[in-house]
Amino acid sequence: MEAATAALAAPGQRAGQSARVNVAGWLWTGMLLALLAFLVLYPIFMLLFGALTGVNPVVDGLDPTNMSIDNFTAVLANPNVHSALLNSFVACTGGTALALVIGLAFAWIVVRTNTPCKGLIATAGLLPLFVPPLVAAVAWAILGSPKTGLLNTMLASIGVEWRLNFYSMPGLIALFGMYYAPYVYMFTSAALRNMDPSLEEAAEISGASAVQTLLTITFPLIAPAIISSMLLSFIVMLGIYGIPAVLGTPANISVLTTYIFNLTAWSPPLYSNAAAVAIILMVVTGLLVVLQQKVLSGRSFTTVAGKAFRPRSLNLGRWRFLTLALAIFYLVVVVVLPSLGLIVAAFRKFLFIRNVASLFDMRQYGLMHFERLFANPLALRSITNTMEVAVVTALIGGTLSFAIGYTVTRSTAPGRRAVDIISTLPVAIPGLVVGVAYLWAWIGLPGGLYGTIWILALAFIARFLPDTVKALSTSLMQIHRELEEAAWICGRGTFSTIRTIVLPLARPGVIAAMTLLFILAVRELGSSLFLYSSDSMVMAVLLLDYYDGGNISITAAFSLVQMVLLAVLVGVAHFLSRGAADSGIGKAG
Amino acid sequence: MKLPPLSRRSVMTGALGLATALTLPARVRAASPSFGSPELIDAAKKEGSLVYYTANFTEVEQEVIKAFNKRFPFIKVEMVRAPGGQLITRVKTEAAAGKLAADVVDHSDRGLMLGLVDLFQDYAPPNAGDYLTSVLVSPKLWPRITIGWAIAYNSELMKNPPKSWMDLTKPEYGGGKIGQVIGPSGGTTWTRIMFERQVLGEDYWAKQAATKPVLYPSGAPTSDALVRGEVQIAPLLYNIIWTKKRDGAPVEIFFPPEGVPINPYASGIPKTAAHPNAARLFLNWNLSEEGQTFMIKELGNITSLKTPPTYPEGYDPKVVKVWVPDFEQYEKLHAGWMEEWNKTYGYRQ
Repeated sequence: MEAATAALAAPGQRAGQSARVNVAGWLWTGMLLALLAFLVLYPIFMLLFGALTGVNPVVDGLDPTNMSIDNFTAVLANPNVHSALLNSFVACTGGTALALVIGLAFAWIVVRTNTPCKGLIATAGLLPLFVPPLVAAVAWAILGSPKTGLLNTMLASIGVEWRLNFYSMPGLIALFGMYYAPYVYMFTSAALRNMDPSLEEAAEISGASAVQTLLTITFPLIAPAIISSMLLSFIVMLGIYGIPAVLGTPANISVLTTYIFNLTAWSPPLYSNAAAVAIILMVVTGLLVVLQQKVLSGRSFTTVAGKAFRPRSLNLGRWRFLTLALAIFYLVVVVVLPSLGLIVAAFRKFLFIRNVASLFDMRQYGLMHFERLFANPLALRSITNTMEVAVVTALIGGTLSFAIGYTVTRSTAPGRRAVDIISTLPVAIPGLVVGVAYLWAWIGLPGGLYGTIWILALAFIARFLPDTVKALSTSLMQIHRELEEAAWICGRGTFSTIRTIVLPLARPGVIAAMTLLFILAVRELGSSLFLYSSDSMVMAVLLLDYYDGGNISITAAFSLVQMVLLAVLVGVAHFLSRGAADSGIGKAG
Repeated sequence: MKLPPLSRRSVMTGALGLATALTLPARVRAASPSFGSPELIDAAKKEGSLVYYTANFTEVEQEVIKAFNKRFPFIKVEMVRAPGGQLITRVKTEAAAGKLAADVVDHSDRGLMLGLVDLFQDYAPPNAGDYLTSVLVSPKLWPRITIGWAIAYNSELMKNPPKSWMDLTKPEYGGGKIGQVIGPSGGTTWTRIMFERQVLGEDYWAKQAATKPVLYPSGAPTSDALVRGEVQIAPLLYNIIWTKKRDGAPVEIFFPPEGVPINPYASGIPKTAAHPNAARLFLNWNLSEEGQTFMIKELGNITSLKTPPTYPEGYDPKVVKVWVPDFEQYEKLHAGWMEEWNKTYGYRQ
């Protein structure tokens, strides 16, 4: 054990133990790599095999003689793939830009200003995370459809000719931006909180204005968090199905995910083409990750050192009411309006609304959709299953991500680059295709894994490794090595140092990462579709069933149930993490 | 039970049979239905549950299970529902890994199910002789449900509704008033577009596509869009829209005079079923006159029984012309025609 702990030590710490360190280091990374091979590489191999042979490897066996790149050439030459790729690129770039503006503004307002009602704003910044993409899109279809949208009905009632149209590319961008801003917010607010304000004070003493300080000191210092969050939002948007399916389909805007979903849903399904498109997507994402590392390499972003501090807040004067108003506006647009849309849909018998008077006709409202929802025994079972899967995913996934994040960012263990790269791969595979890959890879395993909630939890852990590892690495990168070195000098081993120094300092990050994992697991649809059984039905799958079944009202009712559940659970986690943040980030080592 | 191998002629004759059958009045049947021997019912009771894979919609199937449980409350039915393509992948993969959990598989695409026929055990319901042989692609797979296409419109918005398939090509219904389910959506839609081309004319697709209909990935979101008023008219499977009308939605539905394309499902019991007796009892009830009557009356289905016990609302057997696709052509024409349909409708593939 001591040898293993020594393996993670920093350079120069224990020079005399190099041989032991090397063996133990390899053992440690070997263990991580073996885990990653099972969770990531093996499923990707099955996917690649499927794409190269055009067969289902479980059904037809692994026959390497049939390999060809026909699927790839066919997919690459298909003009519809080009157009889906271009649409994806436009939607995700626009969405990322919008998410960055919103998320960063929120982070700055919450952490660095004296805007009133910060608790409310902090919650508003995270709320969109509780809304599964499919639900958000359905809610905005109810509000912003050019023909029947409630907002358009309102506009018509006051004599305005102009109509909102969310069935469009700007509609897609708006939803991506609004609902993925929390990623940027979570990353950048943690980084801002952990930043020593003395640098900003120095800038101001040197005569820089508040805006200059923000642009030349604050944002550049939290650049790793900004870049990581942008990259992550971009990639996550690339993999979202619900939003483009609901808002893009009526306008005939096809993106890569809807294209891939169609390939798997058509009769007969074209999985090999889907796998080929997915692998192209993986290559693109891989390039983006390399680009991010190039941008960040060779720069130091240490902002948490062994000196006590508290994040300072900027006095905005009268302007603080403007920032509050902006936050409230965001809250209304992202949460209140869609929730009202869902409430109307969930309680109204039919969603045909001729005019405003009919909208307020109370005879049309009742509990019928909730009654039908809970008359289905699967509804309750899916809720308990989802909670179990999400807790298991958050705990095991959080621990594994911390081990990986620490190994990659803070140790000199051999092979850590490989660990980094492999743990980033799953982000590039769209959920649906991941589901097929896991099904192909794991169904044949001995034992009763298939058909239980454990296979779902494993799939989620693997699928969200990149998200959690990146979230944790950001907080880990900010902790100055001097704190650990101090512990080593005092004779602590590596694990003891991690337990007493790193973990407490990174606690907000760890709790945030586990919360994120929990939420992602509750929302995850794509990879569940192939792995659930009648015993392990989860909420997201049942929700899609209701949407697919053309019952937007039960879909809305179930969405509300899901949102309330998530809000309660995440509220608890948020309270815990705020407690951690308040208990003094700048504690000395 | 042995059935003759399928030939083009038998299918054609059978298609005519179904057409004739659906136009005959219902006859009075024996009062006490038989769902199986007392031994089967006892054995099913001992098994206590079954796992049911279906491509039909969750909500609809929930009603079927509820009705089945009224008759047999001691059998718990656990359902796994997935869209057609995904369900086939699940069945194939689970079977190959020796982990097929299903006791009953129920699918809309008879062609795809025929490809998996070796996975299924011999099964025939007690009233097998009452079924049209034409709709059976294999003696192991049975038409648990049979559904037909109709045209529906939003009665609040559409004051001058269409009256036929051909009306859907009129420019007055252009500009996004019509919603269409895409061709590659599944077996049922493929049946509809075959009908359009073979019965309504080679140029029907082009004329219809010229009205610029709004395309939807499947029938369910189309029916929802129709109720909400996103579109005003849509060809839909009768059972998807009928339950909404039953519950008071502002829609009207009619069976067009040129013909009603019909799609029978294929359902069977895998050889590996862990609850084979419960599975038999479940399918026996579904295929029984009681089961079929329930699905016609409550869910808006049609039936493949030679003598339909009843008809769905608005279905006049003297007027409606049932159209069943030639199964050989159903398989052979699929790839080429689908590509043409996608091109004609500007659907990206």
